[in-house]
Amino acid sequence: MVTNVKDLKEFNLIVTGVGGQGSVLASHIVAEAAVKQGFKVRVGETFGAAQRGGKVHSHVRIGDMVYGPLCPSRSLDVLLGLEPNETLRLALKYANEETLIITNTRPVPSMDANIGADAYPDVSLLIEALGRLSGKMVSFDATELAVKAGNERTMNVVLLGALAVSGRLPFETESLREAVKDRVPPRTVKVNEAAFNLGCDQL
Amino acid sequence: MSVYEDAPGKRVLMLGNEAIARGAVEAGIQLGAAYPGTPSSEIMPYLADAAKELGFHAEWSTNEVVAFEVAAGAAVVGGRALFACKGAGLNVVMDMLMTLPYTGVRGGFVIVVADDPGAWYSSNEQDSRFAGLWAELPVLEPWDQQSAKDMTRDAFALSERLELPVIVRSCTRLSHASGDVCLGEIQKKRNEIVFDKHWKIPYRWNVYGPPGPIEKHRWQKEQMKKARGFVEGTSFNKHHEAENGSKVGVVTSGMASNYVQEALNRLEKRGSVHLLILGVPYPVPEKMIESFLDKVDTVLCVEEGEAFIERQLHQHVNRLGKNVKVLGRLSDGVMPAVDELDPDKVMSVLARFLDAEPPLSGEDSDVREELSEMVCARSSSWCAGCPHIGSFWALKRALPADKVNIINTGIGCYEMSGYGIAAAPIDAKDTDESTRWRAVTPYEMTDTLYVMGSETGLSQGQYHVGYRDGKIVSVLGDSSFFHTNLPPITNAVYNKAEQLILVLDNYWTCMTGHQPNPSTGVTLLGEETKAPSIEEICKALGVQHVKTVDPYNLKETIDAMKEALGHEGGPSVVVPRRVCALQRSRELRRQRQKAPHYVVNDGCTGCKICLWLGCPAIGFDESKTNAAGGKGVAFIDPLLCVGCGLCAQEEVCRFHAHDKVGEGEF
Repeated sequence: MVTNVKDLKEFNLIVTGVGGQGSVLASHIVAEAAVKQGFKVRVGETFGAAQRGGKVHSHVRIGDMVYGPLCPSRSLDVLLGLEPNETLRLALKYANEETLIITNTRPVPSMDANIGADAYPDVSLLIEALGRLSGKMVSFDATELAVKAGNERTMNVVLLGALAVSGRLPFETESLREAVKDRVPPRTVKVNEAAFNLGCDQL
Repeated sequence: MSVYEDAPGKRVLMLGNEAIARGAVEAGIQLGAAYPGTPSSEIMPYLADAAKELGFHAEWSTNEVVAFEVAAGAAVVGGRALFACKGAGLNVVMDMLMTLPYTGVRGGFVIVVADDPGAWYSSNEQDSRFAGLWAELPVLEPWDQQSAKDMTRDAFALSERLELPVIVRSCTRLSHASGDVCLGEIQKKRNEIVFDKHWKIPYRWNVYGPPGPIEKHRWQKEQMKKARGFVEGTSFNKHHEAENGSKVGVVTSGMASNYVQEALNRLEKRGSVHLLILGVPYPVPEKMIESFLDKVDTVLCVEEGEAFIERQLHQHVNRLGKNVKVLGRLSDGVMPAVDELDPDKVMSVLARFLDAEPPLSGEDSDVREELSEMVCARSSSWCAGCPHIGSFWALKRALPADKVNIINTGIGCYEMSGYGIAAAPIDAKDTDESTRWRAVTPYEMTDTLYVMGSETGLSQGQYHVGYRDGKIVSVLGDSSFFHTNLPPITNAVYNKAEQLILVLDNYWTCMTGHQPNPSTGVTLLGEETKAPSIEEICKALGVQHVKTVDPYNLKETIDAMKEALGHEGGPSVVVPRRVCALQRSRELRRQRQKAPHYVVNDGCTGCKICLWLGCPAIGFDESKTNAAGGKGVAFIDPLLCVGCGLCAQEEVCRFHAHDKVGEGEF
């Protein structure tokens, strides 16, 4: 935990997933919590032209020595993955031997896999690879937990719950919980809170 | 809320485009106009939020030049106006952009252009700062959200001081990135809206009015000289001196300046270089550059885009007779020649330049290379239920299969008919006859793809020069129809060019994020308005054959396209019309209605033809036995399927292996 916001030099997080899963929203929730704490914050989004189904990753950078919106290679403190194949794609470039990876295990096959142009990897192999590329790796079926919470679309918030209790964020669990409540549609606060709590229990 | 929140000093997280809108609001903007173009598209919706609250006009115009002229009109009568576009959009504006500066403006006129280095959402990666040099207008280049807000705000005052438009150049990594911004005061005072035909100069708003264009051009050059005082004094330009008597310098601007500063910090070289960050890349501050050049013997230029400052630096080194070596994009092997910059690229450029050790080591690169083979490709695709899936399936069936047809496509979601899937490598050859290529993925229909409106004109050239080895088709969308397709369609009628024109009308400008356009019948501010009829316009232009179809009805659509392809003596138009599937899904959610979905039944023979629709909801399970006794059956993801029913039609699955589950229609 950082007590003086000027003491934090650089914290790098990437949230990755497939278009429509809510990775951009998840990254903004973390960033808004950080702004509220007084940190300097940058968020960079990278996605293709498609509305849905494309690969998306959103960089969240917090700290006094942060200038640009993009994380350098192998600079991540945390990689939050909403889809395991995409988690591996990003881990290969950005993770290092100290990175914490938190990933959903539920695959979303790509069009390339559907038409047989490429093969979707076995999930257990994906998880094993993520273990090799990180300092600590936590994986669970966040989609199932979101369904349990009451809405599959809260899967991103389940992962935020896990991130909140990971001990890696430069602010308290409660700050992230509040940021979730502030950002989600008012009538979904309850289900999102349930999702957040289920995520908290995974670590 | 924060785009018009009256809370000076409050720190908020803002998207770059939101910060630009906020800057305009703080300056007391009186009119905003734009045509959507990623990465600039969010500026106008943010301004629209403020427009409703603060009571000014903001609009989506039918194209960039119309938007530019709407904004220019406001500035001519003294209002503060903002025009926003993407890099490519500025090209559409060139005629007026080159001429308006001769008369200048009365109210502040800010031109925001968001370039797209790396061509994430664009047909090119042009550096629009050159437009400032060409049109002789100041260019401001923010590097983060705070400077984007502040520069946009200050650009209005600068524009009024010079009586000239001012360009603010953003880029994807600024417009589509967020950062903490400290809000400033919102100026409550508004400019008076007045008109004076001879304001300060005779026939002020008429380039031909005496003293005529040459004298007005002379006036413009004198006004630009007044910009010099601003650029020498502004805190947007910064010179950080080296601490240790170093003779090495780095000149940078905009987004690149962030990568440079981070790399210098990581390399622990921050104090060992003279760092010049130019917030105003045109005109450059000559005195500041002179004093910078006094202190260095070698300079590296790091810019996002082309060698814009670098070229000016060479000019000043020559003018001053300095013995300074300038390195950058114009030097061989110093900077990457193309593509956007990023922290890694700039780190490696700076490490080489400063002869320092980059912190990134590659000791486990073998492991990474091995594991990278596991990652499955994820190409862009249409959304499940996209009406374009039906339109292109029908087009494929309607065209003569033994001919080399040419499909000229414009800009919109339908362009994915040309690049959606990373296909097998193409063995390109130099041929001397028309060549048929077998598509190996569902996303290989489009043959030519350039810019908005190019499709209908290209078709005519192909026809008139005598191309007869296949049919010629132009594919455009509803927003493109109103954007730049009325003149080429008129031309096709006038000059009797035979082609099939498909106007894929889904009521929204979807690819840039579902902005309304004339086909929607709703304005930027959400007000209902008259939706002109595409069919009636085509008929009025003289198109003899115009037909409307439902792209969810494949038989009807195939038949209509076949008939239109047989039309002779001029262009024919088919309008496949269906609302965007994402918008339809949202509407159903709002109404708390559930759409049906489809499942694959026991009749599936594993023929895979439905996979060729290119619908992301349809997959293939190799492990199951199919009705033909072989391995593999298609399956439909019930969460992705919207229930459009395309896959269940005879024209796709002749085995009737797709069943509807649930009631109602999508």
